[in-house]
Amino acid sequence: MASATVMAPAAPPATLPPGINAAPVMPDVLPPVKARKGVLGFIRRHPTMSVGLFIIATMIFIAIFAPYLGTTDPTALAPARRTREPSAQYWFGTDMLGRDVYSRVMYGARVSLLVGFAVAFCASIIGLTIGLVSGYIRLADSIIMRIMDGLMSIPPILLAIALMALTRGSVQNVIIAITIAEVPRVSRLVRGVVLSLREQPYVEAAIAAGTRTPTIIIRHILPNTLAPLTVQATFICAAAMITESILSFIGAGTPPIIPSWGNIMAEGRALWQVKPYIVFFPAIFLSITVLSINLVGDGLRDALDPRMAKRL
Amino acid sequence: MFNYIVRRVLATIPVMAIVALFVFSLLYIAPGDPAAVIAGDQATPDDVERIRASLGLDRPFLVRFGEWVFRILQGDMGVSIFTNLPVTTMIQQRIEPTLSLMVLTVILAVSVAIPLGVIAAWKQGTLIDRAVMGMAVLGFSVPVFVVGYLLAYIFALELDWLPVQGYTALSEGLWPWLENLILPAVALGGVYIALIARITRATMLEVLSQDYIRTARAKGAGQGSILFLHALKNAAVPIVTVIGIGIALLIGGAVVTESVFAIPGLGRLTVDAILRRDYPVIQGVVLLFSFVYVLVNLGIDLVYTLFDPRIRY
Repeated sequence: MASATVMAPAAPPATLPPGINAAPVMPDVLPPVKARKGVLGFIRRHPTMSVGLFIIATMIFIAIFAPYLGTTDPTALAPARRTREPSAQYWFGTDMLGRDVYSRVMYGARVSLLVGFAVAFCASIIGLTIGLVSGYIRLADSIIMRIMDGLMSIPPILLAIALMALTRGSVQNVIIAITIAEVPRVSRLVRGVVLSLREQPYVEAAIAAGTRTPTIIIRHILPNTLAPLTVQATFICAAAMITESILSFIGAGTPPIIPSWGNIMAEGRALWQVKPYIVFFPAIFLSITVLSINLVGDGLRDALDPRMAKRL
Repeated sequence: MFNYIVRRVLATIPVMAIVALFVFSLLYIAPGDPAAVIAGDQATPDDVERIRASLGLDRPFLVRFGEWVFRILQGDMGVSIFTNLPVTTMIQQRIEPTLSLMVLTVILAVSVAIPLGVIAAWKQGTLIDRAVMGMAVLGFSVPVFVVGYLLAYIFALELDWLPVQGYTALSEGLWPWLENLILPAVALGGVYIALIARITRATMLEVLSQDYIRTARAKGAGQGSILFLHALKNAAVPIVTVIGIGIALLIGGAVVTESVFAIPGLGRLTVDAILRRDYPVIQGVVLLFSFVYVLVNLGIDLVYTLFDPRIRY
C-alpha cells in the first residue's frame, strides 16, 4: 500500500516561486519486490526445501496412519505365499516368510523415523549441554574436550556397532547407541559457537552490567547457538536413519521381529540375487526420506547460517 | 617445526589413551551383566561363570585395565572367545582385503571427487554445478549397502561384466584382485566422493575469488593452469583435512561393504564377532581402526607443509 502512494505522480506544490520549475516526482526505479507471503511464497523461494518438507510430511503421515493404508499385519507369516513377485494384491511382493513387503515398508517408516528424530533430539540436547558447559568453564573444557577427541577418534558407525554388540537389540538401545556416537560432534560445534560468542561486545556489555553468568548463558549465548544446532540436528537425523539401517543390516540393530527399513533389507539379503525387490523397496523409501532431510538441512543452513553455507 | 611435531605426536597419546579406556570400559557401560549378555540366552550358569573368569570380570576394574593396556602395548589383544585364536592372528589373516579395499577406494574417490569439485566451482551456478552437488546430496542419502546391491545387480548380474562377490588375493595376480574390488570400491566410495567433492567446491569457490587468481588471469594463464595450479594448490589444506576425516566414513562403510560383497576382511570379522558376541575380537578391531584413524590424521597434520609451504610451525 505504501508503494502505491509513492508511485503515484504527485502534483507539483502550488507554493513554488514563479520561474522555477519543480522536477516531477519520479516513480521508483525499482518497484518494491512484492514478497509473496504464505505457502506459495515459501515454495517459490525454497523449492528444494519445499520438496523435502513435503516428502518428510508424507513419510510422517505414512508412519502415523500405517494401519489404514491398505496394509495387513506386517508380522503375519504365511508360508504358502512366500516370495511372491509384486502384484495387484501384494504391491511390493512378499518376503521369504510370506509377509507382505508393502505393509512392512509402511510400518517400517515408524521405526526409522522414530530413530532419526529421537537421535537428532537427544544428541542435540546432550551436545548442547556439554558444549555450553565446556565453552564456559575453562577447567571443564580441557577435560571434556579430551574425552570428546577420544570419542571422535572412534569411527561413529563402529562405535554404535560396538555398543550394540553388548546390549540386547531394541529400538531404545539403538537410539542410545547412535546418540552416543553423534554427541561429540554436536558438543564440538556448540563449544566453538560459544567460544566465539563470548567475545561478542554484547556479551561483554552484559558482563560489565553485572549480569550473572547463568542469565548470560540462557539469555545471550543459548539463543545464538540454536541456528547452527538446528542445521546440525537435521543432518544428524539423516545420518541416524542411515546408521540404523546399517546396524539392522549387519544384525546389530532393532530385533528382527520389528519391521524397520533396515530390518526388511537385512531379511532380503539372502534372496537379493533372485528377489531384489525385497531389498529395493525399503531402500527407495529410506533413501528418499534421508535425501529429503538432507535437502531441508541444506536449505536451513543456507537460510540460517550464511557463513556455514559458504564453507560447505 | 621440530617442536611442533613433537607436541603434535605427544598430543595423540591422551587421545589414544581415552580411546583405549573407552573401548575397554564398553563392557561396563552396557546395561546388565556383560558376561550373561556375551554368553547369550541359551547359556548355562557355568558358561556365564567361565566367560566371566576368561574376561577377568571378577577382578577390580583398574587392575584389569592396567593389565590390558600392558598386554596391548606388547601386541597381545587377548584370545577370541569363539575360536580360541589370538585376536592379533585373526586380524592379521583378515587385514589384506580390507587394506586393499580402502586404498583402492581412497585412490578412486580422490581422483574422481577433486576434478568434480573443481569443475563445479569453476562452473558455479550452472547445470554442471547443480548436477555435481545434487549427486553429492544423493551420495550422502543412499546407504552404502544399497549402492552395493544396485551396482552388483546391474554390473554383475545383468551385464555380467564383473564378479558378484568374493575376493582374490593380490598374490594371485593384479587383474583378478582388481576385478573383485572394483564394485565394492565404487560402492564404498560414494559417500566419500560426495564429501570430498563438496569441500573441494567450497574451498575452490573461496580461492577463486582471491586477487592472485585475477592476477593469474590478467597475465594470461590458461584456465586449466589457473584451476589446477594456482587455485587447487591453495585449496589443498582443507581438502586434505577432509580426506583424512572421511577415513572414518570409509571404516564404517567397509564393515557393510565387505558383508555385501562377501569379502573376508576385517569388516566381516567384526560382523561375525558381533553375531557371536565375541567381545575380545570386537575390542581389538575397534581399537585397531581407531588407532589407524588417529595415525592417518596425525600424518596429514604433519605433512601440511608439503601442500602449503606458507604454514610454519
